[in-house]
Amino acid sequence: MKKIGKSTFFIVVAFIALFTFSSVIGLDYAFGDKTKTYIKGVDDIRLGIDIKGGVDATFEPADGYEASQSQLDAATQIIKTRLSNLGITDNEVYSDDKSNRIIVRFPWQAGEDNFDPKAAVKELGDMAQLTFRKGTETETDADGNVIPKGEIVLEGTDIDNADYIYRQMNQTSDPEWVVDLKLNSSGVSKFAAATSELAGSSTPISIWMDNYMISAPTVNNAITDGSAVITGNFTGESAKKLADQINGGALPFKMVTVSTNTISPTMGEGSLDAILLAAAIAFGLIAIYMIVLYRLPGCVAVIALIGQVAGSIAAITGWFGFMHGSTLTVPGIAGIILAVGMGVDANIITGERIKEELRTGKSLDSAIRIAYKRAFSAILDGNITNVFVAVILMGAFGVPTSFFSNILNKTIFRAFGATAEGFVYSFGFTLLAGVILNFIMGVFASRLMVTSLSKFKCFKNRKLYGGDVK
Amino acid sequence: MSIKKKTPEKPAYNGKVYNFCGKKKLILVVCVTLFVALIVGIIIRGDNRSIEFKGGTMLTYTYSGDLSTSDVKKIVEDVTGESVTVRSGEDINTGDAQFTISMTTGDFDADRQAELATKLKAEFAENDLKDAEAVNVTSTTGKEFLFKCVIAVIFAAIVIIIYIAVRFRNIGGWSAGMCSVFALLNDLVAAMAVSFIFGFEFSANTVAVILTILGYSINNTIVIYDRIRENRKLMPKATLNELINTGCSQSLTRSIRTSITTISTMLIITIVVLIKGYSSLLGFSVPLMAGLISGTFTSLFVAPVTWSWWKGREKVKKAAAK
Repeated sequence: MKKIGKSTFFIVVAFIALFTFSSVIGLDYAFGDKTKTYIKGVDDIRLGIDIKGGVDATFEPADGYEASQSQLDAATQIIKTRLSNLGITDNEVYSDDKSNRIIVRFPWQAGEDNFDPKAAVKELGDMAQLTFRKGTETETDADGNVIPKGEIVLEGTDIDNADYIYRQMNQTSDPEWVVDLKLNSSGVSKFAAATSELAGSSTPISIWMDNYMISAPTVNNAITDGSAVITGNFTGESAKKLADQINGGALPFKMVTVSTNTISPTMGEGSLDAILLAAAIAFGLIAIYMIVLYRLPGCVAVIALIGQVAGSIAAITGWFGFMHGSTLTVPGIAGIILAVGMGVDANIITGERIKEELRTGKSLDSAIRIAYKRAFSAILDGNITNVFVAVILMGAFGVPTSFFSNILNKTIFRAFGATAEGFVYSFGFTLLAGVILNFIMGVFASRLMVTSLSKFKCFKNRKLYGGDVK
Repeated sequence: MSIKKKTPEKPAYNGKVYNFCGKKKLILVVCVTLFVALIVGIIIRGDNRSIEFKGGTMLTYTYSGDLSTSDVKKIVEDVTGESVTVRSGEDINTGDAQFTISMTTGDFDADRQAELATKLKAEFAENDLKDAEAVNVTSTTGKEFLFKCVIAVIFAAIVIIIYIAVRFRNIGGWSAGMCSVFALLNDLVAAMAVSFIFGFEFSANTVAVILTILGYSINNTIVIYDRIRENRKLMPKATLNELINTGCSQSLTRSIRTSITTISTMLIITIVVLIKGYSSLLGFSVPLMAGLISGTFTSLFVAPVTWSWWKGREKVKKAAAK
């Protein structure tokens, strides 16, 4: 084992303190009246509709279109997927087949000053139907809208998967954001036929999102490998949005907004304060309890638990650059409670083990070393099973294009639509983050701290670890 | 709990060993009681799914001035005879204040809506109530979601059984895995029984309770299995029952201490929520507390005892085959 010195304790504590401080406070840089957020703090947490309330929008098919029950269900799924793609994983979507309406409720965005509910609602109700067409001709329909006219080559249903990537289209151009399409078998043959027909001609293939033409490249060679790329002055964000819209699919009919309202939280106004108050009291009591029971390892456990709670906050705000962040809902809080509970458990298991090993007459150093080693197998197995649970839930109820969902939705959950259910996802997300933090804080950091503290002369007393005086 | 002292060969552990394996009757009584409680609860309360899982009616009214949604809730509940949710809001386009009543009665027809509207308008005469919207929501996606949840939980249980079978193979992993899931089942029954008996709605939060108990219960059982696995190496000559009894006794302090922290956390949430009046959160904290209490018990008794019973029968069968 590598050497753990006296200074290790201070380094670990400093890391945890810095991490906690930054994840709670965040890091903003105010420049004039614009604020740039480098690290998101507690204020940037997006709260779920059950805790904070949000927007309630009612849609119905445009022009009195009579949608069937299955079309309404399909539209409901697509709207759910779009909400998830927007990072709004908790939402309520209801359909009413008698009045042909769809009611969508979603929470306010964090920092709601610049949140435009009308724009968000409009984005949800957009058809987002992707078409590849021959030529670029348009015509004007009865309502005066300009709509594309060219013969359809490909539709959304011909596409297996869309992705957004940053790449150089040819050797001389600068790299740019593009949307990369993988076609399914029906798409491959249609696209091959159309591209071989148009190859070398001046007729382009135009790519449309609803009635908006994204680009109209000319075809140089027949494309038979089933891949297609959409270019068109994308930013990373707009490329992602287009890819998400294509993956989410088109609504089976055009929708208009009947009403847009705000709505109060399901749990009642101010319920978050009650939960926070309860959490603060509970944490305080657990801290006292741990310190009284386990003394020095108990103090270390409290520091580790603070780090773990901060880590859970960081996971939700999206502090870690590689994570997207999530919405905090009551089920999400349940995930945190479970993970922190397991963190407390890990510390109790180790604390008990240290006591036990000391009672068998081992020296302090070896008692600590052996206690952490033996406690680890229990903590490992207990936490790993929870990783499985979290991953299965995130896969089953996450955004359909995400990694776990791709695997699970094509196997176990084949019979179901690839639905995104935000609140279960939210639970899985906080649980997974918490379990990972458990290994970092509850196992690794606390071992470093206890081992390091035991090197100090003043902390050599076995009583501090719950052992008998030799 | 009666304490029987045993003194097997145990170099690693000098504390008291309680006879957990001898509590077959106790666990049988507890399992049956929980199950009966659940059935009774279901019979008393019937179908208590919330609107997203059952479908129902949502009525929106606009109003002016001030009005308390809890007053509205009381009046609507008097008229309809079922529990409803009232949420306040505002029309983004017109700025009108409004409230939405959600109820799970699917056949709340125009006549009854008119009756309710008349009653509300009379009660809140100065608020100038106007009917804004009435929708009957269906629950196709809600039902599919519940079904998918069940599949997800079963799948998770299978994965857990396989994991336990592999990691605990030196003490007969398959049966251990099955028994841990059986213990979990008891905890879920306990939580659901409490949820039904208290009349809490079956909502998204209930799903969260089930998932939390799933994680907690399995972790609890595994910590005890871990001790048994370790004892197998330290006490190679001991019988399985001795290993189980020793393992459970060694884990007893840890089990109780961990449970005190988790259960008291839920108790604190329950108390704060009661004082502050957010009764909708009780449907989350109270069943979860029941599941946690049950989880402590089942991990110490149900899982090890059923497992010892299973292994005992295996032995008898083998002996009979010879």
